[in-house]
Amino acid sequence: MPKILLVEDNEMNRDMLTRRLEKRGYTISIAVDGGEGVAKAKAELPDLILMDMSLPVLDGWDATRQVKADDTTKGIPVIALTAHAMEGDRQKALGAGCDDFDTKPVELNRLLLKIEELLKKFPPKPAA
Amino acid sequence: MKSLSFRWQLTLFILMICGVTLSLAMVGLYLYERRQGDSEIQSRLEKTQLLMVGNLAPLLEQNPEATDLQLGALGVDSQIAAAAVFVPGKSRALAQYVRFGAHEVIPPPPANLAKSTFDPRRLIAWTPITSGTNRTLGLLYLKAEESESDKQRTTDLLKLALIIFSSAAFLAISVAFRLGGRFTAPITELAQVASSVQRTHDYGKRVESAASGEIGELIESFNAMLETIETKTSELEQARETAEGAKDQLEEANRTLEARVEDRTKLLAKAVKDAEEASKAKSSFLAKMSHELRTPLNAIIGYSEILREDAVDDGDARTADDLDKVLNAARHLLGLINDVLDISKIEAGKMDLYLETFDVAKTVGEVIATASPLISKKGNTLALDCPADTGAMHADVTKLRQMLLNLLSNASKFTEKGTITLKVHRLPDGESIEFAVVDTGIGMTPEQLTRLFQAFSQADASTTSKYGGTGLGLAISKQFAQMMLGDITVTSTSGVGSTFTIRLPVTVETKKPKVVNTSTQRLTRSPFPVEKRPKILVIDDDKDIRVLITEILDQSGYEVFTAGSGQQGLDLAAQMVPNLIILDLMMPGMDGWTVLTKLQHKPSLADVPVIILSGASGLEMAMSLGAAAVLFKPVDAYQLTAEIATQLAPLPPSYVLLVEDDADSRTLITRLLDTEGWNSRSAINGNAALRILKQASPAMIILDLKMAGMNGFELLEVIVKNPAWSKIPVIIVTSMDLTADMRDYLTPRTVGILYKGRFSREDLLGAIRPVVQNATLSST
Repeated sequence: MPKILLVEDNEMNRDMLTRRLEKRGYTISIAVDGGEGVAKAKAELPDLILMDMSLPVLDGWDATRQVKADDTTKGIPVIALTAHAMEGDRQKALGAGCDDFDTKPVELNRLLLKIEELLKKFPPKPAA
Repeated sequence: MKSLSFRWQLTLFILMICGVTLSLAMVGLYLYERRQGDSEIQSRLEKTQLLMVGNLAPLLEQNPEATDLQLGALGVDSQIAAAAVFVPGKSRALAQYVRFGAHEVIPPPPANLAKSTFDPRRLIAWTPITSGTNRTLGLLYLKAEESESDKQRTTDLLKLALIIFSSAAFLAISVAFRLGGRFTAPITELAQVASSVQRTHDYGKRVESAASGEIGELIESFNAMLETIETKTSELEQARETAEGAKDQLEEANRTLEARVEDRTKLLAKAVKDAEEASKAKSSFLAKMSHELRTPLNAIIGYSEILREDAVDDGDARTADDLDKVLNAARHLLGLINDVLDISKIEAGKMDLYLETFDVAKTVGEVIATASPLISKKGNTLALDCPADTGAMHADVTKLRQMLLNLLSNASKFTEKGTITLKVHRLPDGESIEFAVVDTGIGMTPEQLTRLFQAFSQADASTTSKYGGTGLGLAISKQFAQMMLGDITVTSTSGVGSTFTIRLPVTVETKKPKVVNTSTQRLTRSPFPVEKRPKILVIDDDKDIRVLITEILDQSGYEVFTAGSGQQGLDLAAQMVPNLIILDLMMPGMDGWTVLTKLQHKPSLADVPVIILSGASGLEMAMSLGAAAVLFKPVDAYQLTAEIATQLAPLPPSYVLLVEDDADSRTLITRLLDTEGWNSRSAINGNAALRILKQASPAMIILDLKMAGMNGFELLEVIVKNPAWSKIPVIIVTSMDLTADMRDYLTPRTVGILYKGRFSREDLLGAIRPVVQNATLSST
């Protein structure tokens, strides 16, 4: 099953999304700040990254830029999640290299559609 | 002579006359004395002649050659200086005599000895000596001499003349000084007083001397003249003092007024600043609170969804149903919080546009997909009229989506088992695109329509409980549309349905233009002929605005003057007295509120209508300071020219005066009157209404009560107290909850009271119609 790296500092949001995505068969890996997110992306090479934008240590925009700058991780699709439904954030996220964008609170069906769409666009490598 | 005083002139004159008179007298006397002396000498000479001829004749008869004649013994006396006797034929004297001590030369005898001559000048006499037979015996020469007494007499005469002359001169001077004073003193005083008056301007002086005759009259006239001048001067002084006092009072009043205006302006400016700060603080608080509220709400929604999924999996339908209700309530709450966040961002000016190019039909399709569950909920069907070739537009797609969802969601709320239609089409001008949401729902009354787009006010308080929502949705949508330089408009019929139309430019510009709707075809032209172009003064610190407005107004038939600052504007206004003034509020230096206040206090400019152009804040204050109308920036040229034409157009012979501060209510009621064929004129408050009332009395007045500036009660008070206006019927249209006292006050002074939100179009027309028809109001 596709492996999703969830970078999110809020414990409740992390818990909810993990449980709901796992229920739908995804493998979830967790990172609690931008730095850890970039490290885990490199180490685990997930099939998709859900990136919160307001993160401690390294924020989501910078973390995304690093992921997209690294040859080993640049092919991994990134969906930006922002707390504020701000159009500015959307453009900023896309500018940082994110492949898609969604707002929190997460509307799960909409998010699932976006995940599936991206996974079709960037098919996961066959499991090693 | 001129430099001499009159007294000296007079003295000299008298002296001169005395001198001449005395001299003439002296000369006369002297001549007389001389003649007297001469004749005495002559008579003495004659006596001596007679004596000597008598003595000599016998002697010569006896002896013509007698050489021993002793003339001294022959009657020569002391007054004879010399004597000689000549005989014919001999040139030498026969005998001669010269008085002792005298030097006399005896002249030769004349040729004719027989003739007797007398030379009175030299006192010489020649006398022939004849015999008894008349034969010439010889000639006697005698020369007389002035005696000592003669000389003495002449000297005495001269001495006497001198004495008389001196005494006369002394007397003349004395008389001139003593008596002359009587004549000269008044004249001298007159001259002195006149000169002193001229020097000191002391008109209280008088000539004290009395005199008779012309001088007396002159003095009297002069005194009378001084009296008159003194009276006039004191009157003038009094008038000047009064004027000075009045001027001081006026200046004092002006200072007080200016100080008050300044204080008031400062207070107002502070109030505006405080209000703006408070508003910003409120917006920032709301934004923060909204965010803080959403975090726990996220958890509530998320975990409820997980629980619901679990319940469905477990086949626990009842729990799943309950959790659905929790989720609906939570989502509703989230929607409300998002609305509050949006409106606070808009109010704080922090809402930005993110423009991109997108396909209209595709976006509309997505919106429909989201909205369809809502629409079908109450048994409504959706009709979509959006041609696939509508094409792309450049705008903020997220905001467009939110606006469309809001309109569709509203339509669904107020429609049951009806049809909701979404029509999308480009306007023929190719520059705009319209999205119309048409429903067959409950519709709205005109009064409800007026409050529709106002934040925090739904059509009716009961609507919220019945239909839900904050009532912010439409206000937000309208703001979004206006941010993109479009608009949302509505038409509705109660019980039939409503149509909401979003109009947006196909290409929304990032940079907001300062003046919009400048297409010349739709500008309202000046109501006056070209040769009588009204003068309009534009006061705005923004040069672009000045240039753009000048161009628009010039095309619309006005003569435009501009000023780049408040002070410059005031000066220019005072100089040219325009027919109308367009005034910006936020200007460096003297701001628009101050300019407006100063204009209102100048009698020559107080009646010139002022249209305020402004950003967002401080409008109420401008209205209360006496603005005739208030327009927002960016300047809408259609609106501006229409407003100017309305303000300047002469009032129709019969019209309805509508006094109402809410623009939407004004538009609504004006249209209503218009459809009935009645002329009307609007005023934004009592102050503006008075300016119109002063021009011509209306057939009736429709009056709102709560207004910034002069409110309805205050205006009513002015109207009923003015005999010219007290007969004008007044209808009150208000949203106020009137107390018994207010009603008691209003009832005798008005012909009816209508409550906003509770009256229908027919109620209003029903109240107006009889009054207006009585006044035989006609529309032309």
